[in-house]
Amino acid sequence: MARPPGLLYAVDETPPPITLIIAALQQVAVMSNSLIYPIILAREAGLSANDLLDFASVAMLMLGVATILLCMRSRYAGSGYLCPAGFTQIYLGPSLLALQRGGLALVFGMTISAGLLQVAIAPLLRRMRMLLPPEIAGLVISVVGLSIAVVGARYGLSIIGDQGIRPIYLVIAGITLATMIVLNIWTKGFARMFCVLIGMGVGYAVSAVVGVLDLSAAVPTGGLDFVRLPHFRFIQIRFDLTELAPFIIVALAGTLHLMGNVSTAQRINDDDWIRPDFRSLTGGLAGNGIAAVLCGLVGSLGINSYTSCIGVSTATGITSRSVAYAVGIMFALLALVPSAAIVVATIPAPVVGAAMFFTAAFVFTSGLQMITARMLDSRKTIVIGLSFGAAAMADVYHGVFATAPLFLQPVLGDALVMGTTCGVLLNLVTRIGIHQLASIRLDPGHISHEAVEKFLAEQGAHWAARRDIINRATFGVVQLLELLGDAPGGIELEARFDEFNLDLRVRYIGAPLTFPERRPSAREILESVEGERLLAGHLLHRSADRISSRALSEGAEVHLHYDH
Amino acid sequence: MRSSALSIEQSHSGAVCIVALRGRIDSTSAGDVMTRLSNLITSGERAILVDLGAVLYLTSAAFRVLLVATDEAERGSARLALCNVMGHVRELFEMGGLLDAFTIHGSREEALARLS
Repeated sequence: MARPPGLLYAVDETPPPITLIIAALQQVAVMSNSLIYPIILAREAGLSANDLLDFASVAMLMLGVATILLCMRSRYAGSGYLCPAGFTQIYLGPSLLALQRGGLALVFGMTISAGLLQVAIAPLLRRMRMLLPPEIAGLVISVVGLSIAVVGARYGLSIIGDQGIRPIYLVIAGITLATMIVLNIWTKGFARMFCVLIGMGVGYAVSAVVGVLDLSAAVPTGGLDFVRLPHFRFIQIRFDLTELAPFIIVALAGTLHLMGNVSTAQRINDDDWIRPDFRSLTGGLAGNGIAAVLCGLVGSLGINSYTSCIGVSTATGITSRSVAYAVGIMFALLALVPSAAIVVATIPAPVVGAAMFFTAAFVFTSGLQMITARMLDSRKTIVIGLSFGAAAMADVYHGVFATAPLFLQPVLGDALVMGTTCGVLLNLVTRIGIHQLASIRLDPGHISHEAVEKFLAEQGAHWAARRDIINRATFGVVQLLELLGDAPGGIELEARFDEFNLDLRVRYIGAPLTFPERRPSAREILESVEGERLLAGHLLHRSADRISSRALSEGAEVHLHYDH
Repeated sequence: MRSSALSIEQSHSGAVCIVALRGRIDSTSAGDVMTRLSNLITSGERAILVDLGAVLYLTSAAFRVLLVATDEAERGSARLALCNVMGHVRELFEMGGLLDAFTIHGSREEALARLS
């Protein structure tokens, strides 16, 4: 595990109290935007202003609880990474459908079902790791970035249908975004760490000056108490098997969504990140499922991990898990103090949009780096390219897909779910015909290093292997061929790959080789060919993770193993 | 994968002769490197900089050639240095314990400043 250069507080480090509080506030400001989804549901359910306040308070409480469940590190639940919760459009479509058919009771009952399904899937996740190889995880993370950017632009510029943009929103979003960029690039310390929060503060102030901010609209006619315990007046549960299908899709979509977010959270903590850690994903999914069950039990919309928060962590370098606990406490307090909750819940759309657009850049780039670390053949290129196109389509033609059946909307209405579903399915289909074992024979007099390079490069691309490992393996075989010289009878090179291992076997007519561990001195290498042979053996010994040689019934074999 | 055949580009920057190597240096191509460097030393070049920035990897044969060339340069009162030894190539130098056997500079600019 290597610490990335821009990381200020790693997942297991706790910032000083002031830094911790401001970092949590920063996340709270971004997460609060997601309250729009339970508010939409409440309005569709025809709740009164007082009921709406209770509904929002319970939703805030659940944001805090779910964040802790998603981020804590325990044996049974929690990803162990800063991966806060948020309400997303994934639950919205099917919940609106359930609302029409059976009221809020059915919404909450089916939310519990989706949560239970996620809890059930969690222990099986490791067995399904072939669904999310690293290049597809990279695709998912890129799409996460894309979807944050698109939603950010929509909020930031108030793009609704064909009505165009609102110029005043453009001004506010522009000032907010410029503040964040300037602070992130050209400052250090607190200014950089809290560039998102400071930018949002500037945007909030500009919104107030130009008259975009209107707190009075959110205040009920009877005024606000300073402290108000939320009333859990929506505890009502109903199940209906005929409504199960869309909520199964919700659970699966939420699972893929979480896998993308937790993978990103892992990656931004480790410069040597190679592939998702499934123990962390399993815990995160169990935490997500439990949170959804609790949402249903107390009467709230279902909940997922929230992608924008990952962007904030990436941009600011604060990935401490302690921030999640502080966020949990803050949302619990916000649920009790309606006036504070209203300030948070009414952050102007262009301010939130600019923050999302800004954080999207970091997530998107992180995903691209993961993809480009792998060798890609035409299959992988098609899988990644088409899935990315499908994700963009879901965003660009959002209005068209809004007319699709509600049970399909968790997939069609969400760029991340659409892109991930395409990526996972296409990857499974295009695996057909890829052999994990391949070999090449080089006849005497035609033992060419180019042929070895071409063979390993092609196989590496079929397997989407890591470029650095294939380069090491190529060096190993070429160095071995030099040591073997012009092998009578030629050589056979066999390569076997799975995501964790690359094993190469070189068979030839001759005696087994020995690979001395002793490193020859520069003088020995200079003065004799034997010194060069010693160096060859030593380099082979050191460059492979394991090397061995044995006699066969005809000839001998050298086995080079590389951890992947 | 890009073409890995060795290519050698030669240029001058002031009194320094720069030999930029690109691709793979193994037993089949190490001889070309040796010939080029020997010719430069015997022709009287006093400062030779070998840029390894575009080298994919080098085998034991290539290491030997570089050691021999460095030795020849020293005996001919010339200086031979390496630059841009990065990534996998640097790992190979480390594995062979050969980082100290050569004069190695980080970048071409740094090397030129030292050799000029």
